Amino acid sequence: MKDKTNSGELLRDTLDMLVLKTLTRSVMHGYAIAEFIEEATDDVLRVEEGALYPALHRLELRGLVAAEWGVSDNNRRARYYRLTAAGRKHLSAESAHWNRMTAAVARIMEA
Amino acid sequence: MSAWRTNVWLRLRALMHRRAFDRDLEDEIGFHLAMRERTQQKLGLTPDDARHAARRQFGNVALLKEDTREMWTFVMLETLWQDACFAARTLRKSPAFLAVVVLSLALGIGANSTIFSVLNTVLYRPLPYRQPDRLEVVWETELSRPNSQESPAIADGADWRKQTHVFEDIALTSFTEVTPMAGDGGGEQARAQYVTPNFFHLMGVSPMFGRVFTASEAQDLSQTVVVSDAFWKRRFNRDPKVLGKTFKVSGVVSTVVGVMPPTFGSFYGGPLDMWVPIDADSARYSERKDHWLIAIGRLRPGATQSQAQIEMGAIAHRLEQAWPATNKGVGAKVQPFHDALYGGMGRNLYPLMGAVVCVLLIACVNAANLLQARTETRRTEFAVRASLGAGRRRLMRQLLVESGLLGLAGGALGIGLTFAGIRLFRAIAIDFPEAERLSVDIRVLLFTLAASLATAILVGSAPAFQAARADLNLALRAGERRTTAGVAGRRTRHILAISEIALAMVLLVGAGLTLDSLFRLQHVDTGFDPANVMNFDLSVPEGAPYVERLAGGDIERVSPLVAAFYRRLLDKVSAIPGVESVGTISPFDFGGSFSVLGRPAPPADKMPSTSYRVISPAFFRTLRIPLKTGRYLNGSDLPGAPWTAVVDESFARRFFPNEDPIGKRMRLRYSDMDEKQPRQIVGVVGDVKWYLADKGPTPVVYASYLQQGSDFRGGNSMTILAQTLVVRSASGLGPHAAGLVAAVKKAVAELEPDQPVFGIETMEQALARTIGDSRLFARLLEIFALIALLLAAIGIYGSMSYFVTERTHEIGIRVALGAQRGSILGLVARLGLKLSLTGVAIGATLALGLTRVIAQLLFGVTPTDPVTFAAVGLGLLSIALLACYIPARRATRVDPMVALRHE
Repeated sequence: MKDKTNSGELLRDTLDMLVLKTLTRSVMHGYAIAEFIEEATDDVLRVEEGALYPALHRLELRGLVAAEWGVSDNNRRARYYRLTAAGRKHLSAESAHWNRMTAAVARIMEA
Repeated sequence: MSAWRTNVWLRLRALMHRRAFDRDLEDEIGFHLAMRERTQQKLGLTPDDARHAARRQFGNVALLKEDTREMWTFVMLETLWQDACFAARTLRKSPAFLAVVVLSLALGIGANSTIFSVLNTVLYRPLPYRQPDRLEVVWETELSRPNSQESPAIADGADWRKQTHVFEDIALTSFTEVTPMAGDGGGEQARAQYVTPNFFHLMGVSPMFGRVFTASEAQDLSQTVVVSDAFWKRRFNRDPKVLGKTFKVSGVVSTVVGVMPPTFGSFYGGPLDMWVPIDADSARYSERKDHWLIAIGRLRPGATQSQAQIEMGAIAHRLEQAWPATNKGVGAKVQPFHDALYGGMGRNLYPLMGAVVCVLLIACVNAANLLQARTETRRTEFAVRASLGAGRRRLMRQLLVESGLLGLAGGALGIGLTFAGIRLFRAIAIDFPEAERLSVDIRVLLFTLAASLATAILVGSAPAFQAARADLNLALRAGERRTTAGVAGRRTRHILAISEIALAMVLLVGAGLTLDSLFRLQHVDTGFDPANVMNFDLSVPEGAPYVERLAGGDIERVSPLVAAFYRRLLDKVSAIPGVESVGTISPFDFGGSFSVLGRPAPPADKMPSTSYRVISPAFFRTLRIPLKTGRYLNGSDLPGAPWTAVVDESFARRFFPNEDPIGKRMRLRYSDMDEKQPRQIVGVVGDVKWYLADKGPTPVVYASYLQQGSDFRGGNSMTILAQTLVVRSASGLGPHAAGLVAAVKKAVAELEPDQPVFGIETMEQALARTIGDSRLFARLLEIFALIALLLAAIGIYGSMSYFVTERTHEIGIRVALGAQRGSILGLVARLGLKLSLTGVAIGATLALGLTRVIAQLLFGVTPTDPVTFAAVGLGLLSIALLACYIPARRATRVDPMVALRHE
């Protein structure tokens, strides 16, 4: 179940964090999450959209998000994701870690 | 819900609704693609282009679906399942291997589960009462002998009850007693438990209907009784109006007031008909000499056994001071009820459990040995798989899964054997408590599962490690296989073969010792001739017209009608055709003290004591007990004549070491009353053993039933009332036994229609029953040892066969170079001898240490009996060599041409 390489894991963790952060705004379906990430980053972070789904299911299995079937604006059956309490906790830990990391990297790059 | 539980739950749901899961995933991705397509169209793309763009942007749909799906499954479990399927297929390809391994494991596991089910029933299963662990038995103990324990005097029990604070309540109860009953439907021997009225409440059971006893319902002439479900069914055909029905128990009119549920029975699970009330405060027991009820107390919540011990000790001390005549030096001892019932059973059962564990170990070693050999022949297969990229862990897991399957298959078959084993156990067991309640319950099943898994790990780990260590290069170079087939593998196999022999040696020594004991027990010189003798137990009822209770209730006066009844019965039975001789003897030994007339009287507590039996004069002749000096009792020893007695040799030896006892006069004192007249010793007879396992003879005085007093204290009138009729058949028993039984019953019925006759068995059966436990133990050990021997022989045979196959090439060269048949035989035999000698030596050492635990169960042999050790060792050696012979002979027939071409 684990990815084979460490670099993959790094990417994977980042994607997970972005998804969780996105879900703090509201309950969303997969397409909306993809749209939001792309728009918010001005298409800088154009993840392969399909990769989002394994990520969402992985987060669901870890109990960080919960999923429910609902009906979309255009009346189609869609799967909606919601952040769980565990997910919120995980996100705050991850973002603290991320902030420390980026700050450290930035210090080196600016030096 | 914790994270991992959510995780497992979600996965399980996905596993159960796999189709729905796939459809949902399809839908979710479909929705995404449609949305993207719509956005693209809004940007002005044609529908076709929009669809392609959406797909492109999404990535490989099939792969992502696969990734997601895999995330939801139990990868471990599924590969495990694949391994299991693969293992099943490979195992099916070698059915002979499969059969031998599974069968030997099943034998080992089945033997374990059978003995475990016995342990479970008598030692581990909680007793069927309310909070059974709060129940304690209180014994009287002699303070000078702290290990002694005795049932308390009834009046002492009553005092304990009044003075205790640690116990909620204390009840007194007998074990199952037989007592004659009479009523509509004829007389029979009822099995009754005498209890104080609080007994049922204390045990925490309620009647199925009716009521239990209220405070005091035991009267001299009438009483109430509570009957068992079985008795209600048998005697009253489940009549719902049974309450209020009456019958006589021991001559006392008894009214049924309640029926207990079928789940409540006697302590050891044997049949029980009714509960009869006892009034512990009755003046009848005021002498404090009736020690036939046990005291059971229920601890108050929070109270402990040690608190109870302290309190009961203090109460006993007060009673010592209040009743010095009877209670001086008497303390109290508290013991958990379960221990009191079954504590002694472990002594027999744990060695048996040890024996079956031994059997299972041998079976495991056997299976490991076979599996090991198989792994070696599969080295190429493993090497190929390893070189194709199979990880070592995967290979090890493969082998462990294989042994796991073998273990589970053995366990499944073992459960079947357990049912058979329980049936066998019941067939061998005589009088074993709870034998009827033996069953395969959930605990036995769990035990079997655990045993199977442990077996699998034991069997599979050696080959698995070997496979993991396999050297690819060596294994793949096929030509070298024959000469280098793993020195380590060979050594493992030799160690396994040696340990099998060693384990078998331990078991065989144990079995040899117990069988030797059993043989000695069965050939004990009993001092009489038990062949062709039939026993019948009789007991005239303890009420009118035979017994009258005198005012005060403590003294029972036996009517002369009793002696008249037996006298007429003896006449009638001796007139039955085919009866050579008939006599009677009191089945209970009411021993007592005595004084020899003309000798200075010793102090009261130093009076010599002896066993005392009431007989009819023809008793000695009937059992052919030899006369040593003087004369037997005879027709002249009548009520009016001076009273006489015959003593046995050990009595004469102990009390008249340097004089002739004949002519000496003594006064017997039993039931705490001196006999009315002194008795003159008129003869000395040989010693008799009624129990085969009796260590030494005890002094016995015999006196005629015609020369007896009439007044007895308490229940002591039973000495006179109950008699065992011993009938010697002139024509032998066998086919004539049934006719004899019918004729004796008819003779009894003609004299007293309601009089039950019970305990009908041959004297030889009665003797065999006295060593029932030893017989059971020896038989079971014998069976287990035979299984062990068989398995060990298979193991040796397997090892030697493999040795020969492995060296076919080498032997071929030797033969081609002119080696003689004898030297080839010698090559194989030397190895066989070396392995089995080592095994026997190790086994003998182990056995020397282990047989000590069965020392108490042995009779007439020491646990280190050199003859047994030597015989078992030699026997095992010769069987091992026999198992070598077949492979060895095959080795001598090796055709050098075939062997050399066998590349």
